[in-house]
Amino acid sequence: MTAPVGRGRGLAWRTLAWILTLSTLLPIGVVLASIAGDSEGVFAHIAETRLATYATNTVLLTLGVAAVTLALGVSTAWLVTMCRFRGRWLLSILLLLPMAVPAYIAAYSVTDLLQPAGPLRAIAIGEDGVRWWWPRARSLPGATIILALCLYPYVYLAARAAFIALPASLLDAAKTLGFGSIGTFARVVVPVSAPTIGAGLLLVMMETVSDFGAVDYCAVDTFATGVYRAWATLGSPIAAAQLGSVVLGAVGVVLLIVAVVRGRRRFDASGGRSQRPRPVELRGVRALLAAFVCAVPVLGGFVLPAGWLAVLAIDQGDQRATELLVDHGLATVFLSALAAVLVVGLGLVLVEAKRMAGGWATRVPVRIGQLGYAVPGTVLAVGLLIPLAWLDHRLNDVWGWLTGERLGLVLTGTIVAVLVGYQTRFMAVGVGLLRASLDRVPPRLDEAATTLGCSSLRIIGRIHLPMLLPPICAAMLLVFVDAAKELPMTLMLRPFGMDTLAVRVYQLASDERLGEASTGALAIVLVGLIPVIVLSRSMGVRTRSALEVER
Amino acid sequence: MSRGAIDNGSVSGSGLGLSVRGLCFAYARGDDIVCDLSIDVPARGVHAVLGPSGCGKTTLLRLVAGLERPRAGTIEVGGERVAGEGVFVAAARRRVAVVFQDYALFPTMTALANIRLALRHHPRGERTERAKALLDVVGMGGFAGAMPHTLSGGQQQRVALARSLAREPTVMLLDEPFASLDPGLRRALRDRTLATLRERDIATVLITHDEAEAALADARTVMADGAAPC
Repeated sequence: MTAPVGRGRGLAWRTLAWILTLSTLLPIGVVLASIAGDSEGVFAHIAETRLATYATNTVLLTLGVAAVTLALGVSTAWLVTMCRFRGRWLLSILLLLPMAVPAYIAAYSVTDLLQPAGPLRAIAIGEDGVRWWWPRARSLPGATIILALCLYPYVYLAARAAFIALPASLLDAAKTLGFGSIGTFARVVVPVSAPTIGAGLLLVMMETVSDFGAVDYCAVDTFATGVYRAWATLGSPIAAAQLGSVVLGAVGVVLLIVAVVRGRRRFDASGGRSQRPRPVELRGVRALLAAFVCAVPVLGGFVLPAGWLAVLAIDQGDQRATELLVDHGLATVFLSALAAVLVVGLGLVLVEAKRMAGGWATRVPVRIGQLGYAVPGTVLAVGLLIPLAWLDHRLNDVWGWLTGERLGLVLTGTIVAVLVGYQTRFMAVGVGLLRASLDRVPPRLDEAATTLGCSSLRIIGRIHLPMLLPPICAAMLLVFVDAAKELPMTLMLRPFGMDTLAVRVYQLASDERLGEASTGALAIVLVGLIPVIVLSRSMGVRTRSALEVER
Repeated sequence: MSRGAIDNGSVSGSGLGLSVRGLCFAYARGDDIVCDLSIDVPARGVHAVLGPSGCGKTTLLRLVAGLERPRAGTIEVGGERVAGEGVFVAAARRRVAVVFQDYALFPTMTALANIRLALRHHPRGERTERAKALLDVVGMGGFAGAMPHTLSGGQQQRVALARSLAREPTVMLLDEPFASLDPGLRRALRDRTLATLRERDIATVLITHDEAEAALADARTVMADGAAPC
């Protein structure tokens, strides 16, 4: 349902929506167009020497992380939703904590914990010098576990939502039709919950393909690190873009498969008026085991990495902590706040365009606007750097022709590039939240306002905005935190001399100065805790009301 | 009987389909929801269970189906004890079928696949034909490939009935399956369903709020509401 706007206004909204998709279409288009570009033999060299490694590692890492997150997320969600044991409520909240730790920071901390001279290694070797097998964090399995421990909350949240929505009568029906617990799980729970859990898993896989900091530190060469090296080390933006086009192609194929599978598997599993399943009471050893299974990912994904960072920060820390927090902290807050305002503001325009004008001409831009989240940060950065650098040169040519002086780098050397990058990457966060909230505003309100003579802008200002204020704040908070944690794009697009906390921590950790990096890393984790607290509060309310219903 | 239950007695039949004696049930740390309930339903018989919301009607159904374990009392299905002291036969192995209030059709499967799933005790090659035959029995032969969400409430109810019949049950439990249908359709479906069940010698327990519906049964139990423990 769309508000009845005039033909002219509808065209204006549609045009605006398509203009806003340019920031997404431009880098994707540039990366894809680079296939025809000349990298002066750099891409051929990469293809000959590293491409197979990048491809193998990326595929193995993505599948490995998907498998581990699936196991962790589904098992913990099942236990805290479908079973009752001591500590269940607390664990259901604590299981979200690893979301606060960016994978690259977890990699720094865990790698330090497991290094030959690290504190855990000392426990493993013992006084008699006997050396046990010891896991290597800087390896493909190490990176897989670290990423999985940071990313499983996406699957956990999705699985929990799916299990909470599962009608009790479906499980009962399966039992009365002759299925045991495993049969019921395999034939009923899995097919019904698969689309929701699959959406969480898709996010995990995209985050894994996009990850740069963790795999770079764990010395696992993937496409994300390959693109960065082609740009930074080999100095070939064209080769980097060509490498990025391979990733884009793969992401495109995966999204296409997902769309086809989703299209075929249309069903309604809402369950109508049905009650939710009654949790199974666990006692004794089974209750302990359930609590242990839920506690392990919290320990590995939050307590160990964040705890060790806290120890390092207290013990060593950054000697220039005040300067760090003032310089890099302020830069982080400044960039993230600007990104939050920009992304949410433009996202609002996009969803309102869909609401006001309707039709495919606004639906498609909204979809395109959300695509940026699926593209790795390094690929987006390269896709933006090439056209922005070209534009900078043209601007300088014109300026030089007019004034005889050089203008300097207007786009690539300033925060403009970073902000465009953030807007492209995080538009999905803003649009997703705002679209869901705007869809809940009854179209009758718009119609009533129209009959009272209100223009579309007045409807937005007087009716939509006051109703959308909470989701606007939530979206701004999420974008702020995402931008504050973002590493690869900021690293590649930031203006000279302006380092965010994430970049500073990356540089220190790359120099093996983890003691100094710990202060900034801990600050990022603390910022990351904000949305987790907000999310856990809303989850806590839902869990408590569910428990009251059970009682 | 349940708390304050009134049993109108039962009709004589060709054999005992369901026998419940002194049934008691309480959830952990709670008062008894069902207390000292006894009912007998002969094969081909229909027994209505009436009572206000929350009085334990659905709990009785879950106990008979084997979805809950009784605290005390016995349940016999076709003369075989399925619950009692030291005995508890799981739901999967009881000859008891349920048509749930919301029909509980598996949303990811077609109508035919829903019924095929309940025919696991038949050879694989026969399942599709049997499922189609059951759809014909309930007048849904033309909807084999339909997904549940594309069917109307009445159509879903009929597919759910066909799925339950696939279990070849001794006892059929109907949990207000006509409640959400419009009055005309409700009457037609109710008459057709009960006739189908009687034809197959199935003992039926019909949970209902509707006095008119209960009047069609051979016997009735009224479960009383009340917070006082028995």
